[in-house]
Amino acid sequence: MEVSEARMKKTVLAKAVPAAALLGLVLWGGLPLLRHRHFDIPVVKGPGVTAVLRLSEFSPGLKGTSGDTNVYVLQGRDPGGKALIMGDTHANEPEGMLAAVIFIENAIVEKGTLYVIPFFNNSASRNTRPGDGYPLYFDVATDWGRRRFRFGNRDASPLDQWPDPDVYIHYPDRQLLSYIDVRNTNRTWPGRVDGPLMERVTFGAMELMRREKIDVAVDIHGAETMFPVTNCIVAPDSSVKIATLASLTVKAMEGFENHVEMSPSGFRGLSHREIGDHGPSLPFLLEAPIPFLDQPTGPKTTRFLLDGKDPFLLSLSKKKKLFVPYGEDGWPLEKRVGQHTSVTLEIFRQFSKKTAARPIAVRGVPRYAEVVKSGVGRFLADPAKAAPGGVVMN
Amino acid sequence: MTIQILAILAVMVGAYAAAKAAKLSVELGIFAAAAAGGLAGAFLKTPAIGDLGRHLVEGSTTYLDVILVFFTATLFMTIVNESGGVDYVVRATLRAFGKTRVLALLVLMIIVLVPGALTGAGSVSLLVVGAPVALALGRLGVPKKRVAAILFIVAGLSAAAPPVNIWAMILCAGTAIPYVGFEFTLGIPVLLLGTFTILVLGWKKDPAASAAGADLAPAPPGMTWWRVLLPFLVFFGMVAATRIWPFATPIFGLSLEFAAAAAVALVLSPKRIAFLTLARDTAKRLLPLLATMVAVGMLQQIMTVTGVRGLMSFAVISIPLVLLFILLPVIIPFSEGILTYGGAAIIGIPLIWFLDSIGFHATVVIAGLSLLWPLGDGLPPTALIGRLSTMVSGYEGSYKDFLKATWLPWLVITAVAMAMIIFSSKLAFLVKWSM
Repeated sequence: MEVSEARMKKTVLAKAVPAAALLGLVLWGGLPLLRHRHFDIPVVKGPGVTAVLRLSEFSPGLKGTSGDTNVYVLQGRDPGGKALIMGDTHANEPEGMLAAVIFIENAIVEKGTLYVIPFFNNSASRNTRPGDGYPLYFDVATDWGRRRFRFGNRDASPLDQWPDPDVYIHYPDRQLLSYIDVRNTNRTWPGRVDGPLMERVTFGAMELMRREKIDVAVDIHGAETMFPVTNCIVAPDSSVKIATLASLTVKAMEGFENHVEMSPSGFRGLSHREIGDHGPSLPFLLEAPIPFLDQPTGPKTTRFLLDGKDPFLLSLSKKKKLFVPYGEDGWPLEKRVGQHTSVTLEIFRQFSKKTAARPIAVRGVPRYAEVVKSGVGRFLADPAKAAPGGVVMN
Repeated sequence: MTIQILAILAVMVGAYAAAKAAKLSVELGIFAAAAAGGLAGAFLKTPAIGDLGRHLVEGSTTYLDVILVFFTATLFMTIVNESGGVDYVVRATLRAFGKTRVLALLVLMIIVLVPGALTGAGSVSLLVVGAPVALALGRLGVPKKRVAAILFIVAGLSAAAPPVNIWAMILCAGTAIPYVGFEFTLGIPVLLLGTFTILVLGWKKDPAASAAGADLAPAPPGMTWWRVLLPFLVFFGMVAATRIWPFATPIFGLSLEFAAAAAVALVLSPKRIAFLTLARDTAKRLLPLLATMVAVGMLQQIMTVTGVRGLMSFAVISIPLVLLFILLPVIIPFSEGILTYGGAAIIGIPLIWFLDSIGFHATVVIAGLSLLWPLGDGLPPTALIGRLSTMVSGYEGSYKDFLKATWLPWLVITAVAMAMIIFSSKLAFLVKWSM
């Protein structure tokens, strides 16, 4: 009897110990993921911000969901053209979001109006990428300390939009896309008012463009160094003239590589294709190299995300297997963000030259050379020193 | 950096070998490799020791959807089996086609191809129709080892078949190429290779196997065609509805589609089924497979965060072109065996960009590669489809012998896939036909 009881105790113990260890592991590993999902990023309302809207005002189906996000309005002193800037369409390409935040915190609009959505795919920015070992956050050094940002994923969180279909059928063209793309806000354009959450996000942006008569829409991304479509502006026929002029100008005047890629008409769901096909705006998709996203790299560390330095990529560059020039200094964050601010400002300038009746004039935003010299952090405001009501959580 | 990463890789391999030597299961071996690799990486702060738990937990969710599909699909087929539906279908199939053996073999091949082609998962083919097809093949005189081999190869081809090919979708999504032009590019080779496989492995009749398969259980009283077919109609109807009316139908997802079919099968069963017991037994039976998926996700995450995954990708991309073509038939299946779908992202994406940039036709190359990846689903450490094939066919012999039985179709599929990759530009007409 005693032997059997002892055996039972042993069995219970043999089950309880691994179960407790598993629970411990789940708590140890799960809590940081939970904190990441609920971590809010403060954005300081800069001198040019005149209003903060919610995307759900243009797509009611977003209200109360993780798809809803802030739209910063910077109305100029004088009337003029209107532009929309979107960052974090892919939340693992943070240079777009940082460029957008720099616009919000620094821009003074003299003519026209800017609409800025720094966390376009808010759900993706609170998501992680299982299997890919991304860092959860990254810190940008500033004059006053470190400013922390969430590092997200390319796709929205399955906690916000689930299940995935077996295959994603694009609306309205019925083109078959990968099932993953149902959560990718650069495949769900132009969206539907009652579609899956990410289609409601892109629908909201389309509605904003239609209602506010936006002239120029800039969607800012990062791309792998092994991807041929990088260091470029992707544009459809309607925007290609302005894109070419902007690209040639930054290349000649500011000394960084840039070219124009035509938006393929047979590949649906992308911002550079659908925005122009379904609304009044001229779309531009900006790409700058982000080595962190390449597959053949060393460990995926925060440092690598920021400095873009990797020995494997350097070796591949010597074998001419990359599509961008890549040296010992990698491709740091400041270069990527600087390229984006410069190209965006140049697009506005070229648009204003072409459409004199609707000028967009912005000052206060640093261009490439300034960002490379002073660093991204130099242009990020300190939320602790903002005026009361001057900080918006994202 | 390379030496540090190689040291971490050595620790992972050592931990896996030690677990195998201690006779631990495959899934525990993979977990040991992941945990040991993470600890070794922590010495270099890749990852920081404080982040190790997060990486293991996050990685464990990589294949959560696949796990749900595996469970609900198996539960569905177990209910159909328990209700007597499988025996009923096998008897009827053999009655209809049994006298024309070649025709019966071809019909069975198509039956295995359809669910995988529609869902992109060979596992779904095996879980839904594997058991009845295995029984029917047995009755046609195909020994169990060759039945398992047929199921493995044809289920793999079904996953590669259009309209849904997950490897091609991952590659298209990762390389910004539209997922179009695959219907003939994949459909023709899949049908030819499937026919070749079923005829080569099923041609020779083994009287002993035929006799062993003769003792089919009688179908339970009350079983009718509509009781068997209605659950399948519910499943395929839900799949079809989302394709035919995509903007008017909610997204069900495969798990719910299988769960709905299982519920219908349960209600229509002519005999009472103890559902909770059945569900518990199904979970128990599937546990090694599901645990493997959990552990593989952890391993993948640790391999990425330590740089091991990047080093593998770098090694493949750095190989000279001729050597790369010689090694691809080994590299691609083994990447699948270790990383399952992760292999397509790690090796496939940079490979497609590279080959595209030197004049190869990306869509045909993707199609060719996606014929090679399913072969890796029979390779250790994961061997997901291989293990499922032996499970549903009831083969209990050595796994090595089962793999050996697949050698001829394996070789022919490899040759076809490599020809598609190397001569991709000349085969571009297949893409044009498909558009």
